[in-house]
Amino acid sequence: MRKHLAVLTALAVAVVAVAVVALSSSSAKTAGSKAGALPASATASIASASITEKPGENPVGQQLYGKKSGGTLTVYSGEDFEHLDPGESYFELDYAVMYATQRPLFTYPPNSNTTLVPDLATAMPTTANGGITDGGKTVTVHIQPNVKYSAPVNRDVTSADVAYAIERGWNPNVANPYMEYFQTLKGAPGKGGPIAGITTPNATTIVFHLTAPQAQLLIGALSLPLSSPVPESFAGPMDKHAPTTYGSQAEVATGPYMIEANPSTGVFAGLGYQPGKSLTLVRNPNWSASTYSSAFHPPAYLDRINVEIGGEASVIGPQVLKGSDSVQLDTPANTVVALAYEHYPRQITFTPGSGDHYVALDNVHGVFTNVNIRRAVWANLDRAAIVKLRGGSLVAEPATHFIYPGNQGYTQSGGAAGPNYPWNKDVDGNLQVAEHYMKLAGYPSGKYTGSETVQIVAGNNADAPAIAQVVDQDFTQLGLKVRLTEVDQPTMYAKYCGVPKEEIDACPSVGWIRDFADPLTTLFETFYGPAIVPTNNSNWGQVNEPAINKEMVTAENTVNPTQAAAAWAKVDDMLVDNAVAIPEEWDNQPNIEAGDVAGVNDLWDTGSWDFMFTSLK
Amino acid sequence: MLRYIIRRVLWGILMLILVCAATFVLFQVLPTVNPAVLRAGRNASPKIIHHIEVEFGLNQPLWVQFWRYLKHIFLHFNFGYSLYSGQSVLSLIENRLPATISLTVGAVVLWVVIGIPVGIISAIKRGTFLDRAAMGTALALLSAPVFWLALIAIYLFADELGRWPILPGPDSYVGLTADPWMWFKSLIMPWLVLSATQAAIYSRLLRGNLLEVMGEDYIRTARAKGLPERKVIWRHGVRAAITPVFTVLGLDIGALLGGAVLTETVFEIHGIGLLNFDAISHSDFPIVQGTTLLAAMFIIVANIFVDVGYAFIDPRVRYS
Repeated sequence: MRKHLAVLTALAVAVVAVAVVALSSSSAKTAGSKAGALPASATASIASASITEKPGENPVGQQLYGKKSGGTLTVYSGEDFEHLDPGESYFELDYAVMYATQRPLFTYPPNSNTTLVPDLATAMPTTANGGITDGGKTVTVHIQPNVKYSAPVNRDVTSADVAYAIERGWNPNVANPYMEYFQTLKGAPGKGGPIAGITTPNATTIVFHLTAPQAQLLIGALSLPLSSPVPESFAGPMDKHAPTTYGSQAEVATGPYMIEANPSTGVFAGLGYQPGKSLTLVRNPNWSASTYSSAFHPPAYLDRINVEIGGEASVIGPQVLKGSDSVQLDTPANTVVALAYEHYPRQITFTPGSGDHYVALDNVHGVFTNVNIRRAVWANLDRAAIVKLRGGSLVAEPATHFIYPGNQGYTQSGGAAGPNYPWNKDVDGNLQVAEHYMKLAGYPSGKYTGSETVQIVAGNNADAPAIAQVVDQDFTQLGLKVRLTEVDQPTMYAKYCGVPKEEIDACPSVGWIRDFADPLTTLFETFYGPAIVPTNNSNWGQVNEPAINKEMVTAENTVNPTQAAAAWAKVDDMLVDNAVAIPEEWDNQPNIEAGDVAGVNDLWDTGSWDFMFTSLK
Repeated sequence: MLRYIIRRVLWGILMLILVCAATFVLFQVLPTVNPAVLRAGRNASPKIIHHIEVEFGLNQPLWVQFWRYLKHIFLHFNFGYSLYSGQSVLSLIENRLPATISLTVGAVVLWVVIGIPVGIISAIKRGTFLDRAAMGTALALLSAPVFWLALIAIYLFADELGRWPILPGPDSYVGLTADPWMWFKSLIMPWLVLSATQAAIYSRLLRGNLLEVMGEDYIRTARAKGLPERKVIWRHGVRAAITPVFTVLGLDIGALLGGAVLTETVFEIHGIGLLNFDAISHSDFPIVQGTTLLAAMFIIVANIFVDVGYAFIDPRVRYS
């Protein structure tokens, strides 16, 4: 009878998750671990002992070339992939496969967060080389000749394939989630067919015509999987299905690897990819290492990559740490991070700049329309406690503003200390400063005495409930009456925090990961007023300050990268000044590997394993 | 008997329709998240969400959606498609079912082979050291949750992870046809773990029933007639005492075939339970709907078998 109701099953799942965490810590105890001698939650304090004592490798400076070729890597991932179509994928795990099998026009080398290099393109477009003309409104890209598709297409890639790949993003059956980066192309938004803003004068040249001087933004966006060529002759019929079956049934590759597929049809479903079970990457026989520029040439050491999908994180972690030829693709459990920290320090890496979390505050309804109340709750929030709840200083650091490490403009906007405002100084909360701003907000006692209740909606998974409790407690300390509702994370976004008419006052632990190094990808969707939409909204606080909006447009249209970074730093400063939301922490992504693996993390992709550069020792 | 079976099958079908209605209400009428939003993925525009709603028929009246849903299930055996991978739920279930059947059959055989003899011996040897040891062990196993036992087993005996690595650990399952020996080895630990608690339940249940039955008048009569004790126990005692065990067994098999979520998750066996676990984690409603219906179907079928089986097992039951 217990399988009758999904609700009961969900309950069982929750119970096992709790038990698994508890048992993992006891397993570490058996091994005589100091970390394991403490309850799972206490791993936070171990990790926060001192950031200077990190035993794990920081992936910056990792060896990329001159390593051993051959062998099979086993990749464990509790989570499944979401979309394996370059037009649809928008998830770190998907990206690990996309960048190994597809070639976008530009890419970030594994060791860089901010420097783009040509991949399918022959060179980075600049004003000097004629790639950027018309005051930043035209971008010309030449693509490498002799790049071949895998079977069954088996022909050279052309610029028309890149044009189709981008244009199909507007096809509702593909529904690419980041088409806003292409909205200034002439004729955008398209419907899936050709638009005036993309022309292909010859087989190796593609020209982008923009309505605004946003060449840098476009170039950044062309590093996303969407710019990987897609042959219309092969994908077109599949794109007529809703949703497209390109990427779920069949696909062709241009990168060094391909999803194992039937060579005569390209179909990988049931062969190279079995949803929820496994994915197999094999060498793409049509790939040639000579079709790259000198700035980026992936060595593709491995012969085969077997991804084993599913399972419990606290079982997968020890399998990797104690096993051989394997890595974990998704995030290791906190207990596993502690185990690796203590016993396998050379097998764990921490990648900074892997996203941020903050408390979204409703700027246009309720209590938080008053900027001084927002400043007060910011001042009082114990961000250091939240860092501990996240897992400690190895995996998180207190956030002080919204352009997080690894983004252009991070240094200009104050680096780790952030903009110098009184409410931003004490990461462990400062009640006196908070009360000062409550007084400025019109509450002479320093405590809120109004009648409104603050509705908080938080996630009920992992550490979200504990963080919500911290937020609840710090709000209550200022006299605010709080009603806290906890729901599962998809519901939190889709039914409450992402629906403006719900008028949720605060949503703790909303998270954001940049799409590429341009600060626009961190700030625009989340804080630009005109970007607010009635459902699936990502500007959770409905921030719509005309001055901020104007400054964002200025930054967006700044062609010079240095000036653009400074302009975005100014936007960041305005966001902090207006206390539009409360930054909680910046993420350092942990990743684990077996002792005989020379893994390479992509700094720009939350430290995800780069299969083109990873090798066996 | 035939009329009874036909009547039970018809009731079973009606029950399935009711379960369909319940799952439809749960996942289509009262979903926590709009399925179109999930399908659209992060950052989707309202226009795209609307397009998907039209494609999925989510903009149609509820009764139209329900009718289409029933038609797809009963006429085409189509449970829909995963919101994420776009794969047919039926093909996912077909792909995962062999693993779940393997796990279930082996575990059932084990717990029946262990639980029933232990229950009988405990009842016959009531109050002896043997009885106390068996029931004490059963109590201990009953108190140990399956996921806890599974993790303990892994950290003690699994390859690479265990203190005494003698058995294949998590993610070692292979299909029976691919490698029968590896199939067998990889399932030993999951079978033992899954059957441990169940064997304890069955032994305690059978012991209790048998003790009660052995005190009945007709047992005394059988003994007075001079029947050998072995015949009294087996023909008159166990046969009557085992009926409730048979009922529970049918339901347990049905439920397990619907997916042993905890065991499959911890041992990374890609069966229906793990499919369900992943689908719940991602709010992939069509898969949860499909697996829920599958579990309901197994339980209904198991119930029919149990009811029919009574006629053969319990001498007091006859259908006419």
